[in-house]
Amino acid sequence: MNQSSQKATGSKPDKVKTDNYVRIEGLRKEFDGFVAVDDVSFSIRKGEIFALLGASGCGKSTLLRMLAGFERPTAGSILLDDEDIVGLAPFDRPINMMFQSYALFPHMSVEDNVAFGLKQDGMGKDEIQARVNEMLGLVQMGKLAKRKPHQLSGGQQQRVALARSLAKSPKLLLLDEPMGALDKKLRSQMQIELVNIVERLGVTCVMVTHDQEEAMTMAHRIAVMDAGRIRQLGTPDEIYEQPNCRFTAEFIGSVNLFEGRIEEDEKDYVTIRTPALEKPIYVGHGVTGYDGMSVAFAIRPEKIAISKDEPALSYNKVQGVIEEIAYFGSHSVYHVRLANGSKVLCNFVNLKRWASENFTWNDSVWLSWKDNAGVVLTS
Amino acid sequence: MNAVVKPRSARLLGSRWLVIAVPYLWLLVFFAIPLAIAFKISFSQAAIAMPPYTPIVNWVDGHPSLDIHLKNYLYLVNDSLYVNAYLSSIKIAVISTILCLLIGYPMAYAIARMPAATRNIALMLVILPSWTSFLIRIYAWIGILKNNGLLNNFLLWTGLIDQPLAIMHTPVAVYIGIVYAYLPFMVLPLYANLVKLDLRLLEAASDLGAKPWKAFLKVTLPLSKSGIIAGSMLVMIPVVGEFVIPEMLGGPDTLMIGRILWQEFFNNRDWPVASAVSIVMLLLLIIPIMIFHRAQSREMEGRLA
Repeated sequence: MNQSSQKATGSKPDKVKTDNYVRIEGLRKEFDGFVAVDDVSFSIRKGEIFALLGASGCGKSTLLRMLAGFERPTAGSILLDDEDIVGLAPFDRPINMMFQSYALFPHMSVEDNVAFGLKQDGMGKDEIQARVNEMLGLVQMGKLAKRKPHQLSGGQQQRVALARSLAKSPKLLLLDEPMGALDKKLRSQMQIELVNIVERLGVTCVMVTHDQEEAMTMAHRIAVMDAGRIRQLGTPDEIYEQPNCRFTAEFIGSVNLFEGRIEEDEKDYVTIRTPALEKPIYVGHGVTGYDGMSVAFAIRPEKIAISKDEPALSYNKVQGVIEEIAYFGSHSVYHVRLANGSKVLCNFVNLKRWASENFTWNDSVWLSWKDNAGVVLTS
Repeated sequence: MNAVVKPRSARLLGSRWLVIAVPYLWLLVFFAIPLAIAFKISFSQAAIAMPPYTPIVNWVDGHPSLDIHLKNYLYLVNDSLYVNAYLSSIKIAVISTILCLLIGYPMAYAIARMPAATRNIALMLVILPSWTSFLIRIYAWIGILKNNGLLNNFLLWTGLIDQPLAIMHTPVAVYIGIVYAYLPFMVLPLYANLVKLDLRLLEAASDLGAKPWKAFLKVTLPLSKSGIIAGSMLVMIPVVGEFVIPEMLGGPDTLMIGRILWQEFFNNRDWPVASAVSIVMLLLLIIPIMIFHRAQSREMEGRLA
């Protein structure tokens, strides 16, 4: 889904306009001196699914509520399709939201819930009915149109909430923790379905989530937030493979960090002296830094190879002892204690049946990685 | 297995019966039996005797003979005084209920939206007056409303009027008294309902394009229906039979069934007619009570499902 949307936006002539469909500039929100959103600026492309990802209290929900109009920014501007919407009340914004616990009107039937927004626009009765049927068909809820929300399951309620928020063809769709109220199995199924519906309609979408898997499955681009600021903004693979700071590296997935200093800083490689390894770590990409700079080398557990025998490489290898094993079936995670006391996680894909039996507790093993397996973090 | 389960469930059943029996016994002794007695008296004839009515069952030569009279009920229908009193009571009750609703709804709404700390103080202020005797509070209104009372003196002092307003002993005084006395019964159930309202529903309505007034009409108001019904019933039912307020604040022309009942019982000493009046009043009130009950059970159904 990533590629298709990028191709679509890239080929359009007015690329600047579609790239800046939603433009947020210097947006700030303070509550009694507490800064919830701290001078945030970014743009959202037309037709993309954009995720605000962060732990609770990072400001992502406040940001979403400012987009919806429920919170007034302390400073900054929000431009939607070149129109400043900061001064508009929620009921005047061409933006609809799917609420975290759906906020379906309990006294109205499914179809009345979906029709609610259309009625506010003074649309004709037949037209409303047609649109409601179309929307309920889209989310496969046509048969339950006469039911009340309390007669529906969680997944069905979510479909109704989605239909209700899409009925007015909003310029921007907001999803607040869209899968928060669903159990795990239903969640992964609904994630894909929701993305398909949103992409079919071509709606631009901003979602808020604390669940990184959800953000990575659903979003085209992710903004990782912490303490009211965006720490990194990029596609899911960029954020995973190329974290720009210790925070994102540790927030997304699991990571091994080797703290150290730059020893050699060349154009196409750097070496990092770290107490964990005998020889410096060799990294096959340059960094904007200087000799002796304090940095961290970050490497994901699945990019470290584990072996009984010493690898043939002359660098990027270290010996340790298996301390703990977590067996996941498809792969195992080994916690390896190095000589200097630091612990390294290493994934091993169980390619063959019973492959996990090769390594056991207290085995002395070698860990190694290629020169392009990790990244150097300067902040 | 049965041997294990049985004694336990039997013991549970026993304690359950005990818990239920206490209030039911209370209702039986102080409600059902007196009501049955009143019902019985309503079919007898007034007599100068002790008690002042003829017995229904006469023992003639060891044989019982029934002596039932329906004329008390016919009397109520034929004498326009009673019909008018019933209608007037219902009219006063309906108007007072509407007034209480119009004043009480904004009050309850405002309290429900207050920050939690001030909310309790505001609720306290609603309840506080009922810590004083009802009778004393109605007496206080005489002091306020009479010709040389607080209100008239104040209005004369400000120069808004040059003649005292005649409020005392008019329907206006009765309405003031009733609305004052019964307002808490409207505010409290409405508050209990409105405070539970999920504010995200209002955000959702606003998000979907509803202006605040429209969101109130389409979301808040329908969702507070059960509170409105509960409050209205709590006001209307006792007001129909209200005696103290029309007696103290109303004029001789304020016709309410509670006053007629009092007069029949204490002034005319016609216990059978008084009993018939009260039985008919009860039947009239059963209708709104049943509506109330139906609405409430439907509400419960919705909650549980």
